[in-house]
Amino acid sequence: MLTYALRRLMMLPIVLFALSLMIFALQMSLSPTQRLAAYAPSPDYLKGGQESIRRMIEQYGLNDPFYIQYGRWIGGVLTGNLGWSETARQPVSTALMSLFPATVELVVLAFIPCLLIAIFLGSRAGIHLNRWPDHLIRIFTILGWSFPVYVFGLLMLLVFYSALDWFPPGRLSQWAQTTVSSGDFVRYTGANTVDALLNGNLAIFWDSLRHLAAPVITLTYVNVASMTRVMRTSMLETLRQDYVRTARAKGLPRRVVELKHARRNALLPVATIAGMELAVMMGGVVITETIFDYAGLGQFAAKTAANLDFPAVLGFGLYFAVVLVLMNLIVDLIYPLLDPRVKTQ
Amino acid sequence: MKLALALAVGMGLAVAAAPAMAETKNPGTFVFMWTDDIQSFDPAYIANTPSSYGALNIYSRLLNFNGSKISEFVPSLSTEVPSLENGLIKQGDDGSVSYTFPIRKGVFAHKVGVKGADGKVSWEYYDKLTDAQKATIEPGYGQITPEDVRYSLLRAILQGQSWMSNAITEVITAGKYTDIAKWVETEGKVKTFAEASPETLRKVYDQLSEQIVVDGDNVTLKLPKSFPATLGVIALPFGTSILDKEWVASVGGWDGSGDTWKAHYRPELGANPLFAEENGTGPFMLEEWDRTDRRITLKRFDNYFQGPAKLERVVMRTVPEWTTRRLQLLSGDADFVTAPVEFIDELSKTDGVKVIDGLQKVFSRGIFFAWPLDDNDNPAIGSGKLDGQGIPPDFFADIDVRKGFNYAQNYDALINQVLLGKTVQSRGPTVRGIMGYRADSPVYSYDPAKAEEHFRKAFGGKLWDTGFTFTAYVTEGYPQLTAALSALQMGLSRINPKFKMQIQALPWASVSDKLNNREKPAAPLTVMGWGPDYSDPGGPLGAASYYLSPTGLVGGMVGQGYRDLMAEKFKPLLDEAWASSDPAVREPIYAKLQEMSYDYATTQFLWEDFGYVVTRSNIDGYVDNMILYGAWDFYPVTKANN
Repeated sequence: MLTYALRRLMMLPIVLFALSLMIFALQMSLSPTQRLAAYAPSPDYLKGGQESIRRMIEQYGLNDPFYIQYGRWIGGVLTGNLGWSETARQPVSTALMSLFPATVELVVLAFIPCLLIAIFLGSRAGIHLNRWPDHLIRIFTILGWSFPVYVFGLLMLLVFYSALDWFPPGRLSQWAQTTVSSGDFVRYTGANTVDALLNGNLAIFWDSLRHLAAPVITLTYVNVASMTRVMRTSMLETLRQDYVRTARAKGLPRRVVELKHARRNALLPVATIAGMELAVMMGGVVITETIFDYAGLGQFAAKTAANLDFPAVLGFGLYFAVVLVLMNLIVDLIYPLLDPRVKTQ
Repeated sequence: MKLALALAVGMGLAVAAAPAMAETKNPGTFVFMWTDDIQSFDPAYIANTPSSYGALNIYSRLLNFNGSKISEFVPSLSTEVPSLENGLIKQGDDGSVSYTFPIRKGVFAHKVGVKGADGKVSWEYYDKLTDAQKATIEPGYGQITPEDVRYSLLRAILQGQSWMSNAITEVITAGKYTDIAKWVETEGKVKTFAEASPETLRKVYDQLSEQIVVDGDNVTLKLPKSFPATLGVIALPFGTSILDKEWVASVGGWDGSGDTWKAHYRPELGANPLFAEENGTGPFMLEEWDRTDRRITLKRFDNYFQGPAKLERVVMRTVPEWTTRRLQLLSGDADFVTAPVEFIDELSKTDGVKVIDGLQKVFSRGIFFAWPLDDNDNPAIGSGKLDGQGIPPDFFADIDVRKGFNYAQNYDALINQVLLGKTVQSRGPTVRGIMGYRADSPVYSYDPAKAEEHFRKAFGGKLWDTGFTFTAYVTEGYPQLTAALSALQMGLSRINPKFKMQIQALPWASVSDKLNNREKPAAPLTVMGWGPDYSDPGGPLGAASYYLSPTGLVGGMVGQGYRDLMAEKFKPLLDEAWASSDPAVREPIYAKLQEMSYDYATTQFLWEDFGYVVTRSNIDGYVDNMILYGAWDFYPVTKANN
C-alpha cells in the first residue's frame, strides 16, 4: 500500500512540470502587449504613452524568449517563490495559502452533509424503488441538478439575507471583522469558525456560521443531487447481486441486508465521484463564492484568469493539480477499505 | 400543535427581519462597496483613480482642489496658494518661472519617531502619545518639514514609475522630459536607462535638485519656462503627496541621496516598502489592508492638522457581484455601492437609499480612426483592398471617409436611449469645464444625406460603388460602447448596404494589443474613452494634448497618418497656446483646436461620461470633483444615526 502511494506521489512532479510547461506555452502564444495586461489591466495604465508601454514590457521581461521566462519562473518555484500576483497584490503562494483555509472551511462544511445526505437518500431511493420515497428523492435531485447555482444562490440571498437578515454574505459582520482584525484575536488557521473556537469567542463563531450557512446550503443542495443519483443507481445494481439474494435467502433481517451487505458495496462509485467532486470544490466554487461575496480560491482563480495574471494562473494550476492527484490517491486508498477484493488485486 | 409551530416560526421570522430595517448598522463606520481595488499605497507608484483613494485620504498635498472646482485651489501643507499677485509665482527675464510654497509648521504624520532611553528611535502612532511622550519626538521624525516636501517630490520623479508622478518631471522640466528615464538617456547619451553610468545618474540628480530647493520655511520649484498646469499637478493625489523622509528611509525606502536613487527606480510592486505601509499626514490612517478579503480599513487620525474627520472608520470592500452589493445596500450593511446605470432610477425611488445623479465628468468617449493600418495578415481589414471585401490600410486617411462615418452616427439616439438622456454629446477633446470648450462649437449629427455626399466623394467616387468590409473593436463588458458601434453599423448599412462594419468585442488585453507597441495599428476603428489628468487642456496630460498632439496618448495608438496630420495642423496651435500663461490668449486657441477637430473629423466624439453616487440616505458630505474622477474624499463625509 505504501509503495503504491509513494509511486503515485512520485508522479506528481512530472504532472506539475508538464502542466506548467503547457500553461507557459499558452501564455507565450500571446504577444508581450497582451501579457502586459496583467500589469496594465485597464486603458488608464496606457496614459504614459508608447514609451511607458515599452518600459513596462522591458521591466517585466515580457520580450524575453520562452526558455528565459520559463527558467526565471521555474527558478523561483524551486526556491519556493511562485511569483507575484498583480490580481491579489501579494505573492502567489501567500494568496493561495491565505485563501485556502477559507475554501476548505466552506467546502468541508458543505461536503460532509452533502455526502451523508447523498448516501442516505440514494440508499432510500434504491431500496424503495418506484415507491413514493424514490419518487420524492428523484424530484429533489432533479430539482437540485437543474437549478443553476447562481439562481439558487440568489434565491438564498433574497430569502435568508434580504428578507430575514439571517445569513448575510461575506465571511464576517463588520463588528466581528473589527474584533478579528484587532491584536487580541489570534489567527491560528485562517478558518474563522476554528479560530473563533480556539480563541474561545463564541460570538465570532456564531457570526461566522451565519455567514457560512447560505453558501454551505447552496453548495450542499447543488452537489447532493449528482451523488444521490449515483448512489441510487449503484444501490439498485447491488441489490440485484446474487450475494444479496443469498443473504436474504439465509433469512438475514432486511435492514442488515440492505445497510450492511448492499450499501457498503454500493459506496464504491460514490467514493469515486465524491473524491472528484471534493477535488473540484477544493479548486474553488467560483459562482457560490462570488454570489455570497466569500473570498476563496474560486473567486481568485476566476479573477486571475480574466486578468491574464499568469504567475497566479500557473500557481493555481499547480495547486489544483496537487489537489487532484492527492484526491485520486485518497480515493484509491479508500477503495480497499470498502471492497477488500481491491487490496488483493 | 401545528398552528403553534407556524406562529412561532412566523414570529421568529418577524423578529429576525426587524433589526435590519430599524437601526443604523455600523455607526461611525462608512462601509464602501465597490468593484475596484487599490494597486498600492505608495503615492509615487500609483496612477489610476481607484488607487488615488488611498493617497487622497491618507496623505496631504501642498494644495487641495477647492471643493468641486477643478481650477481653484486652497492651501493644505502649503499655507498659501502661489499666484503672481501674492508674489509666490515669479517670472524670470529668461522666461523661467518659480513657484514658492510656504510650508505649514506643526504638522505631524500618523507615526512619529520617539527617542527611547537607549537613544534609539522607534516609530509610534502620534494619536497614542501622551503629552510627555510628544516631548520626546525626535525633530524631523514624523514632523513635516520643507525638506520632506522636497524629498517627496524628488522621490516621485526619481522613482519614475507612474505617469502621474512623471507629470511632476514634466512640470519641473517644463515639458522637456516625459520621465526621468528620458532625462537620463538624453543626458548620458545611452539607449536605455540601465546603460546609464553612475556619473550620469548623479548629474541628473544634481540638476533636478537644483530645481526643487528649500529656502527657510519655503520650498521653491524652479521651472525653465512656463508650465501652466503646474498647480493642477501639485494638487493631484498622486506623487505630490508628502511623505516623511526619515520614516521612508527607516522602512527601507530611498534615503534621499543622489547616489542611491537608481536602486529605487521603478520598484517591483511588492518589493516597494511603501506598497502596503503608510505614514501620511492625511485625515485617515491605514489600519488594515486584507488583500485576501479585498478589504481596506481606514481609521480616523485624530490629530489631523485640519481637525479630525467625522467618520471613525472607512471600510472599503471589493464586491464584484452587483446583486450582492445591492442587497447589502438595502439592508444597511453597505453605505455606498457602485451600481450599474440601469438601476439608478429604481434605486432613487427606494426607501433609505440616496442617488446623486447627473454628475459631470471630464471623461469623453469616442470612436477612433486609425491609419495607416497594419496590412500584414490583419483580419480586421479583410482583403486589404477597396474591393468591397475589405479596406485599404489608408482607408481613414481620406477625410471624406471620416466625415461620412461621423454623419452616419445617431448621436441623439445613443444619448437619449442608451444613456437615458443623462449627458450631452461630446464636442471634441475638451469637455464642459475645460478651457476651450464652447457650447456653440460645431458637432456632427446624424445626417444620412451628408454622409452619402461625403462617401460619394471618398476615394475619387470609387468607395460608393465598391463598398467596404472591416472589423471595429470594443472592449468586452462595455454595453454602451458596443451600442455606439451598433448604431454606427446600422447607420452605415442604411446609407449603403455595401457598407459592412463588423463588430468584435475583445478582452482589453487584445484591444490594447491591436493598438499599442506596434509599428502600425491593427484596429481600423476602436471605441474608447479618455479624460485629462488636470484641468488645463495643454501640457502632456491635458485633454487637447491627449487627443491632438502627435506625441499624445491617442496619437501613439492610431497610426503615423494621424500623427502626421496632428503634427502639421494641430501642433503649431498647441505649442502657441502652451507658450502663453494668459488665459485670454490661450482660450481662443483651444477653442479653435476644438473646432479643427470637427473640421478634420479627427475622431468620432460621442458623449461626455457622467457620474452618479448611490449611498444610504443618512450619508452626506460627498464632494464631486471631476478632475479627481469622482474619487471620494472621506474627510467631509458624515453618517447620521437613524
